[in-house]
Amino acid sequence: MDVSDFISNFVLGMIAFALGSNFTVKQLRSAGKPVLWISILEAGFAWILVTLVMILYFVIKHLPIHPALVLGAAAAATAPAATVMVIREYRATGPVTEMLMRVVAIDDAWCLLFSALAIASANALTLGIFNTHVVMEAFFEIFAALILGGILGALLYFVSRFIVTREEVLVATVGFILLAVGLSMRLRLSPLLTNIAFGIFVANIAKNSELFFAALREVDSVLFLAFFVLVGANLELDIVPRIGVMGLLYIIFRVVGKILGVKLGAWISGAGSNIGNYLGWGLVPQAGVALGVALSAKALYPEYGDIIFTTITATTVIYELVGPIFAKYGLQKAGEI
Amino acid sequence: MNSLLSAGLILLLGFVGARLLKLIRLPNVTAFLLVGILIGPHILNLVTPDIFTASEFFSNLVLGIIAFSLGENFRLDKIRVGMKQVMWISIVAALGAWVLVSAALIIYFVTIEIPIYPAIVLGAAASATAPAATVLVIREYRASGMLTELLLKVVAIDDAWCLIFAAMAIAAGNAMRAEVFQMSIVFAGLGEIFGALLIGGILGYISSRLSKFVRTREELLIYTLGLVLFNVGLSIALEVSVLLSSMMMGLVMVNMARENYKFFEVLRSVDTPLYLAFFIISGAHLDFGILYKMGIAGILYVTFRTIGKVYGAKLGARISDAPEAAGRWLGLSLAPQAGVALGIGLVAKTAFPEYGDYIFTIIAATSVIFELVGPLLTKYSLMRAGEIASTE
Repeated sequence: MDVSDFISNFVLGMIAFALGSNFTVKQLRSAGKPVLWISILEAGFAWILVTLVMILYFVIKHLPIHPALVLGAAAAATAPAATVMVIREYRATGPVTEMLMRVVAIDDAWCLLFSALAIASANALTLGIFNTHVVMEAFFEIFAALILGGILGALLYFVSRFIVTREEVLVATVGFILLAVGLSMRLRLSPLLTNIAFGIFVANIAKNSELFFAALREVDSVLFLAFFVLVGANLELDIVPRIGVMGLLYIIFRVVGKILGVKLGAWISGAGSNIGNYLGWGLVPQAGVALGVALSAKALYPEYGDIIFTTITATTVIYELVGPIFAKYGLQKAGEI
Repeated sequence: MNSLLSAGLILLLGFVGARLLKLIRLPNVTAFLLVGILIGPHILNLVTPDIFTASEFFSNLVLGIIAFSLGENFRLDKIRVGMKQVMWISIVAALGAWVLVSAALIIYFVTIEIPIYPAIVLGAAASATAPAATVLVIREYRASGMLTELLLKVVAIDDAWCLIFAAMAIAAGNAMRAEVFQMSIVFAGLGEIFGALLIGGILGYISSRLSKFVRTREELLIYTLGLVLFNVGLSIALEVSVLLSSMMMGLVMVNMARENYKFFEVLRSVDTPLYLAFFIISGAHLDFGILYKMGIAGILYVTFRTIGKVYGAKLGARISDAPEAAGRWLGLSLAPQAGVALGIGLVAKTAFPEYGDYIFTIIAATSVIFELVGPLLTKYSLMRAGEIASTE
């Protein structure tokens, strides 16, 4: 693992942990229903729309359609980092911002489930058997990540009784996040979900939980900066010209799916028109989780792996660059900046 | 074991270890080193190779931060009173260690019939002190008083004397071996010092001027860390002393504007995890096998370096009319030895093929001892001088 991997995993863990603080039981009493509806529908719409368009494209091109299924599932994920940074920079506050942070946090769980479903369906197409265990494994991965996060949260709660100074709070928080990321990687669980769960538990059980989140905010600016500079340095710009019709379709329909999904979800759950109209703009960035799906697709279908991987990488570059601008636009329109 | 897991364990075990060893009144620095030894390759082996690879980058950053913060102690409007004492004490203490260690080792080397130039180089290495451990002990126990003030300045500048001594010693060693005294080596030593002061001074000046563009606290942190890294990197690239250039940068900045204290303050808010990891990784690096190899020469080195520092500081204090307590206890608190001495060992290794390894082994072995015992001695001296409030 080189230094840039280390930093990006650590920073993603910090962001996920911080996102967990938006899920206190008190907040969820009123916000629980909208979060579920909005996140499932935006992730689901992005998945279904992209999948349908891709199937159409693959049929026209006389290609087998199973790679299209997997490609669509990658569209469900949202990368939280860029959106969180925009929120921080402009000190956005309000119901849209809060809901946005919850939605970017949990839609990765849906993405995991969708991609498992997609892979199982693709297997059903090619091999004629629907692998239930693939879907079960995804459920298991999500639950195991939640449990690991919970255990770590309980441990931190126990340790926090011995923490006296501010410096010790910082040391313990950073140490636990590193531990959570490291353990989840070791156990092949999602580091993002593990850290979100860890953050949720800390926010709910620790008395002075705000101390832990505040300690991180003191130091994270440097790490965020390093993280995004490294992301920029690693962007594969030369791949963008190869994006093709397929990539353009992916880019457009993923965003359309997210925005429509948010609208519908907000309407069903009665979250208000401000959330319905503007939250979707914050869901554009795409990064690690989608690349992970693309990697597993590449492993499953080596003959189409390249085309899937190129599409996801190239669209990720574009989303990373325009995502923050969209997020800022949405939050401004919602009147929260 | 991946590196993130390893790094998490380093921080958390460091925290737990420091807490446990506090029960027997060990300073945090010692606790971190002991935890490092425990998780190091010889016992639990929890530190991944990647972390060891990154540790060079990391320790340079941490030393840069420490030296930069030491610069804060040189506020010219306040310092005029104590500067005479600082100069005398630092020079005489460094000289005392050099002379005594060299003398003892020369006698020993003559009796075992090997050349005496390694003794001169070893003596020069003995004049260095490691600022990191000293600073952390002072901070942990919130020491304050005359001794603390002097100590913070002495550890900051005695590396300059050590570099001069080392250059002279290596030139002298070459003269004995090859019978030419290369003035160029001495000049290189001086160049290393003045180059460092120049670079640190220029960077400090520029960055103090540019700091008006820094608005938020986040930007301040990024700006300060970026500066320290840039200065360390530039010093390494130009082969000048990292410690001295960082210290000079801090010195210039603290003197340029009253509000520049904010640079030092913002570092203090984030540096704890860095120091903790630094000392744990240092502990994991400690090689105990080498202790068996240091022999009588090592024992002489440890003994006479300590005596040289103690009496050198005392003499320096007497010459410069420093307060009695400061003079009595300052030498002992200068016991920690680490990077600078090892750096001299490395230079010696390449300069003297025949005895370079021997010199390096002795410096490395005695560094193990001084790293572990040094913080205890520093704490003890500060306590005896009455500069640590009796909280325990």
